[in-house]
Amino acid sequence: MTALLQLESVSKRFGQVLVADSLSFDVADGATLGIVGPNGAGKTSLFGMIAGDLPVDSGDIKFDGRSVIGLNAAARCRLGIARTFQVPHPFTGMTVFENVLVAAHQGAGLRRAAASNLAMEVITETGLDRHANTAAGRLGLLSRKRLEVARALATNPRLLMLDEVAGGLTDPEVAELVAIVRAVNARGIAVVWIEHVVRALLSTVDRLVCLAIGQLIADGEPRNVLSQQRVKELFLGTESTVAEVAQTAHAADTGGTTAPREPATES
Amino acid sequence: MTQAPTAPAAPVAAVRIRRSTRTSRWALGPTAIILIVLGYLPYGTGQGTTSMLVDFFILLTLGVTWNMLAGYAGLVSVGQQAYIGIGAYGVLWLAQHGVEPFLALPIAAVACAVLAVPISFLVFRLRGGYFAIGTWVVAEVLALFTIRDSALGGGTGTNVPGLGGFDPVVLGAYTYWAALAVAVISLVGSYFLLRTRVGLALTAVRDDETAARNVGVRVSRAKRIVYLAAAVGAGGAGALLAISQLNVEPHNVYGVQWSAYMIFVVLIGGIGTLEGPILGTIVFFVLQRTLASEGAWYLIIVGSVAVVMAVWVRKGLWGIAERFGLRLFPTGYHVTDTTR
Repeated sequence: MTALLQLESVSKRFGQVLVADSLSFDVADGATLGIVGPNGAGKTSLFGMIAGDLPVDSGDIKFDGRSVIGLNAAARCRLGIARTFQVPHPFTGMTVFENVLVAAHQGAGLRRAAASNLAMEVITETGLDRHANTAAGRLGLLSRKRLEVARALATNPRLLMLDEVAGGLTDPEVAELVAIVRAVNARGIAVVWIEHVVRALLSTVDRLVCLAIGQLIADGEPRNVLSQQRVKELFLGTESTVAEVAQTAHAADTGGTTAPREPATES
Repeated sequence: MTQAPTAPAAPVAAVRIRRSTRTSRWALGPTAIILIVLGYLPYGTGQGTTSMLVDFFILLTLGVTWNMLAGYAGLVSVGQQAYIGIGAYGVLWLAQHGVEPFLALPIAAVACAVLAVPISFLVFRLRGGYFAIGTWVVAEVLALFTIRDSALGGGTGTNVPGLGGFDPVVLGAYTYWAALAVAVISLVGSYFLLRTRVGLALTAVRDDETAARNVGVRVSRAKRIVYLAAAVGAGGAGALLAISQLNVEPHNVYGVQWSAYMIFVVLIGGIGTLEGPILGTIVFFVLQRTLASEGAWYLIIVGSVAVVMAVWVRKGLWGIAERFGLRLFPTGYHVTDTTR
């Protein structure tokens, strides 16, 4: 299969913090890729650079063989790159249906009935049909996360990037989410998924990478990657590393950086 | 080889959508009656009422268009007086060159849109507070250019020719109808713009610009559409000012007080709704009329009202009405039925 997404020596730093250090990897068309890594590893920044929210310092990003570096987020979305946000960004004053419809209009380029039918289909697919007329600002966390996925799907993407959509969900909810993501992938949409809930990843992705300080420290079959010593130290951690991660997260909070606090480990 | 994603796994649904609300259907009749009454008003009342309503419609037009700018596109401009000035001076210049002033009104308004294109590329490079100040600077620069032209009356302004031939009563009625038309067009235009795909995209931009970009909204294009439309509205209001006051005075038409009025009207009524500016204009107008003789107290009271609203009633008066499900101009989509 041809590579749908190609990163070539992508680098990015915020002052002293390196979030991408000459990072290169491919995602094949229709593939699934999980991304794990400690807080501040640059996972969300990576999505930002691929989606066009964050400019790269150097390197190239190609989608379907074509460089997208010069394109803004809206143009990349129209090409087929969709992302969800770790902290949901609903259009709070609009209903769930309107949230998704705007994506079908603008991202998928559909009109009238074609747009509203696609919107309703993804709303049904993500289990939000009961809430179609609910104002998005009144949704709970689970529904907000589903809305992120629904909205991304309504843009008719070829690549779907999920950022921590399983965090904070109960086991049955995670299972439901995994089923949704697998169904999406079965339609031929490539999925890249950043997730701390490792069991969700293991039941979905064929390939896993571990990102730390802007570098890929492991890449391969998920269980293989997780069993590597460096990955264990950095991500899954022993008691001491868990404490360290918690400490760095705390330091980041008090230091005023934008790194959100995440659950240290879940396995 | 590329593989195109296939259709969603969910069964194909035909969605039925309703776009009106109960209040909007109820409001249809009264709105039509109000419009008819307003249309016939010059036959029934004196000049005092109609000329007062001309001021009201000018303010309403400015409020409605500024709300589209700030409330939907997130463009907090304090320089819309640039287009009020160009609209007024457009009428003056065209009238000096033999164009009927009432015909000059739409021409001047369209000229504002044309001028707004290059200006938008300049000011859209700025964000937030810088954008606000930038638009103000543009207005001041245009004012300075205008007063350098002695044919347009220089720094003191001059009379609009071509209005002296009218009977005062007829002129008053024509001015009133022109003002009513400008206000209705800006309201109806805003309403229909918001009901289109662009309107839904704008509403998304209003709520979350980053997320809007990420679902494919061409944010700059959507903002430019609103900026041009708002320029037409302000230009129309300026043209009306020139006609109703019979003269154009630079410090009045290019005055920053217009921006203060627009902000007040929108804040009081409720930003980011169509109904808000109407309500805000009514409140502001009543305050202005009743307190006009009170001198400094007028400013103190109006200022205090603005502070109270901005701090405690962030969504404005219409925000309170909306809590009860009121909606006069429904722009949303209500899913009523999905048949499989």
